[in-house]
Amino acid sequence: MKHELLFSGIGGQGIMMLGEILCNVAVEEGFQVTFAPFYGQEKRGGRTMCHVVIADGLESPIISEAELMLVMDEKSLKDFQNLMAPTGTLLVNSSMIDIEPDCQCKEVKKVPFYEIATELGNSKTANMVALGYLLKYMPYIPYEKVSKEVEKAFEAKPKVVPLNVQALKTGYEYK
Amino acid sequence: MGDKVFMQGNVALAESAIRAGCKYFFGYPITPSSEVPEYYARRAEEEGLVFVQGETETAVFNMIAGAAATGNRVMTATSGPGFSLGQEAMSFMAAAGLPAVVVEVMRPGPADGEILAAQGDYFQAVKGGGHGDYNTLVLAPCSVQEMCELIQESFELAEKYRNPVILLSDALLAKMRENVELPGRKEQNCDLSWALTGCAGRKHNVMTTCGDGSAQWEKYNLDLQEKFAKIKANEERWENYQTEDADIILVAYGSMARVAIGAMKLAREAGLKVGLVRPISLWPFPVKAFEGLGDKTFLVTELSAGQMVEDVKLTVPHKENVHFYGRLGGIVPTPKEIFEQIKKLGVK
Amino acid sequence: MKTIYKRPEVLTDAITTYCGGCGHGIVNKLIAELVDEMELREKGILVWPIGCSVYADKYYKMDAICALHGRAPALATGIKRCLPDKFVMVYQGDGDMVSEGMAEIMHAAVRAENFSVIFINNAIYGMTGGQMAPTTLLGQVTSTSPYGRTVPAAGYPVNMAEIMANMPGVCYSERVTVNTPQRITATKKALKKAFELQFENKGLSFVEVLSPCPTGWGQKPMDAMKWVDEKLIPIYPLGVFKSPEEVSAK
Repeated sequence: MKHELLFSGIGGQGIMMLGEILCNVAVEEGFQVTFAPFYGQEKRGGRTMCHVVIADGLESPIISEAELMLVMDEKSLKDFQNLMAPTGTLLVNSSMIDIEPDCQCKEVKKVPFYEIATELGNSKTANMVALGYLLKYMPYIPYEKVSKEVEKAFEAKPKVVPLNVQALKTGYEYK
Repeated sequence: MGDKVFMQGNVALAESAIRAGCKYFFGYPITPSSEVPEYYARRAEEEGLVFVQGETETAVFNMIAGAAATGNRVMTATSGPGFSLGQEAMSFMAAAGLPAVVVEVMRPGPADGEILAAQGDYFQAVKGGGHGDYNTLVLAPCSVQEMCELIQESFELAEKYRNPVILLSDALLAKMRENVELPGRKEQNCDLSWALTGCAGRKHNVMTTCGDGSAQWEKYNLDLQEKFAKIKANEERWENYQTEDADIILVAYGSMARVAIGAMKLAREAGLKVGLVRPISLWPFPVKAFEGLGDKTFLVTELSAGQMVEDVKLTVPHKENVHFYGRLGGIVPTPKEIFEQIKKLGVK
Repeated sequence: MKTIYKRPEVLTDAITTYCGGCGHGIVNKLIAELVDEMELREKGILVWPIGCSVYADKYYKMDAICALHGRAPALATGIKRCLPDKFVMVYQGDGDMVSEGMAEIMHAAVRAENFSVIFINNAIYGMTGGQMAPTTLLGQVTSTSPYGRTVPAAGYPVNMAEIMANMPGVCYSERVTVNTPQRITATKKALKKAFELQFENKGLSFVEVLSPCPTGWGQKPMDAMKWVDEKLIPIYPLGVFKSPEEVSAK
């Protein structure tokens, strides 16, 4: 059993946090998990991308094909769409991406993560909306536990906990 | 053993070193190793650690030499540019018999280069990047778990042979998080009669690497060589995966070995008989891992322009059967990419 | 019978490799006398440099290590941080400290390391055969300044004792010399003060010793003694540049 995932965006979009929350829950569920982050040298506005492998044994931390990919900006789409598995699902942040994907995969889902987050009250929660949406495609990760993990992740800023939990829920329930 | 955590390589390594009784850390921040000094600095008070941020790696490597000379467990962590500055002290510590542990988190050079994963410092670590005839033990983990175990073992080996030990990591292993069961506390248990502590109740100890005539210095060198020969004979470490029936054998270490495991699985699924030799000790190079594999075809994969491949060619009987595939600049190939290379070798 | 003078106990039987008229031998003996008097032998670690004193580890029955060129203050940092209660002495020449190891001595001072540094300034590279040092005087002829040191080529001599006095991490900085018996006595006093201060953990204690180098300077020993007065002291004045009284007054 092996799930290969890739999440990518621009620094500040919360991609790493999204990946970490997901991985923490996967570990709790007993999986062997690898979270491999990649950064640019720049302090601001650089690429943040991670490969996540959820498996039952030792695997390559570098994925061959993403069964699930989330791209939050246009450059991420251009750079990584060639890593899509033909049977995989590509989630495109349509708030920031106007171009059409050019790759083979089972389905492409365009979701306006930023519009959804802005409507909820804070565009910064777009990453949690995206995480919620991702979970629709990950039956092996229980939503409830992720919700608890989101609460934990924002422990230090209790004020923003409800908003982020709501964002996760909204993403999860988004049609 | 006990604590099961999901931890970043650098952090898990630092925690395991602390648990190994390494109370002294001298360092200089450099990506992708900085979480190690940061962790030591953060834990210093509660664990009673001494953390010093030196002005340069040149100074830092001399500081760990000084600390090691007192018989205490000591460590630094750096990356290629800093490791280069440390080379004079690596030569010094090997000559003076100082058991310091150095974590080298490789990133792509030459020069400043990039900050993602690379393995281009193999020669520097394995062949002795400083001057003179010396060697340092080099251990290369391939997972966060193995990193935790090998860092603890590094201190024991350093003390056993009174020689510096390099733990060769890379930006991928250092920055990635994995499930890990942290190793327990270890106690230092070795002869320290040689250490500099003030000569109360014993004859004074002197450490010098300044020769006293050619005859004396040749003898000094021959003693060192004898030690290196003993390390070679006793400390080869490796892991072989499905090599017996294999037609093609991948050779890879560190994070690249993980990619090779993925490639091997893809190949096996496609019906190709592919195995893997994974050197864990890079010096001494695990010659014994290749015993009985003389007639196989080898594909050495590295995040370099081809460095360990030279040692593989020196080891196997038919070097024309040794092929190489590498990526540079911080790009780590995917398992599929390596699988494509395997197919190109066109094995029956 | 009363003993008026004896060879310091800490010294081995080894014969030093210093030239006649060199200041190293004098300072080495002062250190030995102080180690005996202050009972430092069993609680001290001596850190020697690369330079004319490279074999000094052979002269003392004390734990010692010979550092890489210029790196003695960094090596000593590692030692002292592990053994904060022990006596650690660093001994460096001018090529070692001011050229190869300027960063190491400056940052040991920045960190207020609690060890004593003895700096032998003879304005030349002695061990390697009389080449120019950062401390070489303007106009001074050496094998790498054969027509005399000039500012366009090599800049100015470096006054370490004054520089160290300006560092908050240094508790004591004095410049002395050993070209007369009185000055040798004064040097011993300065060294003693530096050693004592180490146990008060007030930071780095620093003693610069102007040392004649007859061989390097191409002079007879007596002329070299005079040259210290005539040439060195005008550029490198003797005196206390910082003392703990000053430190505690701040």
